[in-house]
Amino acid sequence: MSLDLAFTAHVGALDLRVDVTVGDEIVAILGPNGAGKTSLLRAIAGLGAIDTGRIAVDGTVLDDPAAGIFVAAADRPIGMVFQEYLLFPFLTARDNVAFPLRSRGINRRDARGQADEWLARVGLADQADAKPHELSGGQAQRVALARAIVADPRVLLLDEPLAALDAQARADIRRDLRRHLAGAAGARLVVTHDAVDASVLADRVVILEAGRIVQQGPMQDIALHPRSSYVADLVGLNLYRGTADDGAVRLEGGGIIVVADHDGRGDVYVSVHPRAVALHLDEPHGSARNHWPGTVVEVDELGDRVRVRIEGAVPIVAEVTRDAAHELALAPGHTVVASVKATEVTVYPA
Amino acid sequence: MLAAIAALLFALPLLGLLQRAGWSSLWEDLSTPAARDALRLSLECSLWSTALSVVLGVPLAWVLARGEFPGRALLRALVLLPMVLPPVVGGVALLYAFGRSNGLVGPWLYDTFGLQLTFSKTGVVLAETFVAMPFLVLTVEGGLRAIDGRYEDAASTLGAGRWTTFRRVTLRFLAPSLAAGAALAWARALGEFGATITFAGNIAGRTQTTPLAVYLLLETQPTAAVALSLVLLAVSVVVLVALRDRWFGIRR
Amino acid sequence: MTRNVRPIVAALLGAGMLAATWPGATAVAAPTPRGSVTVSAAASLTEAFTRLGEAFERKNPDATVTFNFGSSSALVGQIQGGAPADVFASADLATMDKLVSGGQVVTTPTPFARNQMQIAVKPGNPKHVKSVSDLTDIGTIALCGAAVPCGIYATSVLERADVTVPESSITRSVDAKATLGAVSQGDANAAIVYITDVKAAGTTVTAVTIPDDQNVNAVYPIAPIATASNPKLAKSFVAYVLSPAGQRTLAKYGFLAP
Repeated sequence: MSLDLAFTAHVGALDLRVDVTVGDEIVAILGPNGAGKTSLLRAIAGLGAIDTGRIAVDGTVLDDPAAGIFVAAADRPIGMVFQEYLLFPFLTARDNVAFPLRSRGINRRDARGQADEWLARVGLADQADAKPHELSGGQAQRVALARAIVADPRVLLLDEPLAALDAQARADIRRDLRRHLAGAAGARLVVTHDAVDASVLADRVVILEAGRIVQQGPMQDIALHPRSSYVADLVGLNLYRGTADDGAVRLEGGGIIVVADHDGRGDVYVSVHPRAVALHLDEPHGSARNHWPGTVVEVDELGDRVRVRIEGAVPIVAEVTRDAAHELALAPGHTVVASVKATEVTVYPA
Repeated sequence: MLAAIAALLFALPLLGLLQRAGWSSLWEDLSTPAARDALRLSLECSLWSTALSVVLGVPLAWVLARGEFPGRALLRALVLLPMVLPPVVGGVALLYAFGRSNGLVGPWLYDTFGLQLTFSKTGVVLAETFVAMPFLVLTVEGGLRAIDGRYEDAASTLGAGRWTTFRRVTLRFLAPSLAAGAALAWARALGEFGATITFAGNIAGRTQTTPLAVYLLLETQPTAAVALSLVLLAVSVVVLVALRDRWFGIRR
Repeated sequence: MTRNVRPIVAALLGAGMLAATWPGATAVAAPTPRGSVTVSAAASLTEAFTRLGEAFERKNPDATVTFNFGSSSALVGQIQGGAPADVFASADLATMDKLVSGGQVVTTPTPFARNQMQIAVKPGNPKHVKSVSDLTDIGTIALCGAAVPCGIYATSVLERADVTVPESSITRSVDAKATLGAVSQGDANAAIVYITDVKAAGTTVTAVTIPDDQNVNAVYPIAPIATASNPKLAKSFVAYVLSPAGQRTLAKYGFLAP
């Protein structure tokens, strides 16, 4: 099983450029709004044409402008779950799920039978006669999923499948969705802007930013070694980019970060966890190799912890206890010195 | 206060009509051969013209709602023209297009197919369709625009081709506006007078629909005229009451 | 004017005014008809009466005549419904009688013209209609509504000629003008209307004469309405219609003497 995506597409003001292969696995497409995630799904589904390149499933070309090939959406072996589910309001849950089968010419009785099986599989056997407006968010999502899978597609696309749910239902439904996705076969792509969704649902994560794939791999790897401020913000890390030379990394803005590893050379990313940052009112004299003076810009209380944002030669976010913040009387405009041990700094090639 | 005046504007003529009705002779007035012919003709022709309006009007509405071509605004203006034209002018225009003696295509139709549209029931249907179809096109175009296009996207990802999507999804969403448009077109066709009398003439039993019969009767037998008018009135009330839910109800 | 003439002019004007307003002085200087009058008249009188009206206004510069043309029956309905007409000219006696018995006309109506029927066909008479009996098999013909004067006359003509045209071949219009229009503009092949209408239609139709023994005499009566807002002017107009000048105009349009 392979879904080959190697194409460019111009959608509105966005330039989408992807080159990735998805096997028999669950892949999350994670990125900020406007990154092109939905456009990517629509291109795969055949709801929008690409400009150059090709899209192929198991060797069958679905879209290849240069060769003049474009397979209509209805003829592609894909199933899609839309962000707002888009269940047909005038059909019952059963008839919604039966729709793809009826569209392929299967007679009503057989189609309804299969629909009932799938509804039972997602635990909605007793809602088969309900109309979409009578279903809860989580139930509607399961009907939409059943509807997308019932015709046995080789590629399954899910556009923000949990976005329409309230926070309480989310965790449980996410677990269920993981179970259903794991039980299905083929290339399964889940588009989301939520890092937790990506972590839970997918085996592999692809970061899409401004139409480009900037990073891909297991979520833990990405979280530990972010390659863009988007991901860094997502996982709450401080991220820098600079040139390493003999134990120090020089940042573009001029700041210097002392690192523990003296062999690194060249273009690198540097990440520092906010918890590894200590704040002082005066220049400290201790073992920490990094002292960065700066000005407090923002103070955010989050329960017992406080996140402090500091501007300076090395801008940084520090996480301290509430007591500590009060003791130091941290407030915007105050000058502080942030110190970080070299051993707490993670460096990796860019 | 203004609403009360508006309501009176509609209620008073209705009350006037009811007050002048010859209730005692109502059944006789409605049972004359002329009255029965007129009512039967009105029913037949209005239903035919509604059907024609649907068959021709839905594709036209589709083109106007979904099409992208230069001159679309012009086409819409053309379609709405019969709504703006005084019906008699519409009838004259039809005459100059389809009249056998000096129409644009009328003489050709007669010479080639032996078809004369004037003074015929077909002519009545043509005149009624001319004035009624714009209502259907307008309503259906609005209905098409209101459909969330993503449902049609969803249908195609579920394997439905264009015709299947239209049949099983679009039409279902369109059903209320289609019904409303058809009802409006029917009501308009039923009440059509000016274009009918000018183009199809006023031939008892063949083209004398109820409004035309009323017109002639008004001068000589007012009570019979009122009786026929009351039938038209009753029909309109029924249509409006049936439409009410479609127009104002939220589509489930 | 020089100063010594002015008092003389003033005196003369004053004397003149005195003479004019002095009771019994009207014989000396009769006041000209003034004001406005509304005349409801049968559709077949459209051209003739419009001309008459213009002549009347020229003769009486302070008077205005407004016309309301239509089928005589419709006009009667309007007048009985309270429409502000001052004079009524009908296409037949029976319709005028409705106003007499209704009390809207209290003086005796005066016949002022006579009309006869004629057959109108398409220019050049392509169907070769020569007589009333030819009307049975030429397709659709146009007649006025069976209950309006013009239609009643047409029915008489058909009866007198012993000709039956099936109702399914007759398209009925509400007045003579519309009936003629069905031939001149539409697809009707012939119409039976007033001679005056056929004449007024000029070259848009061709006329076929109906012999006197089959034809009718349509007598047109005129009368002022009792509730006229300007009874003097109304009477004045009626008088003009009956005057030699008025009769000459009517004759020019094909009407016969009453």
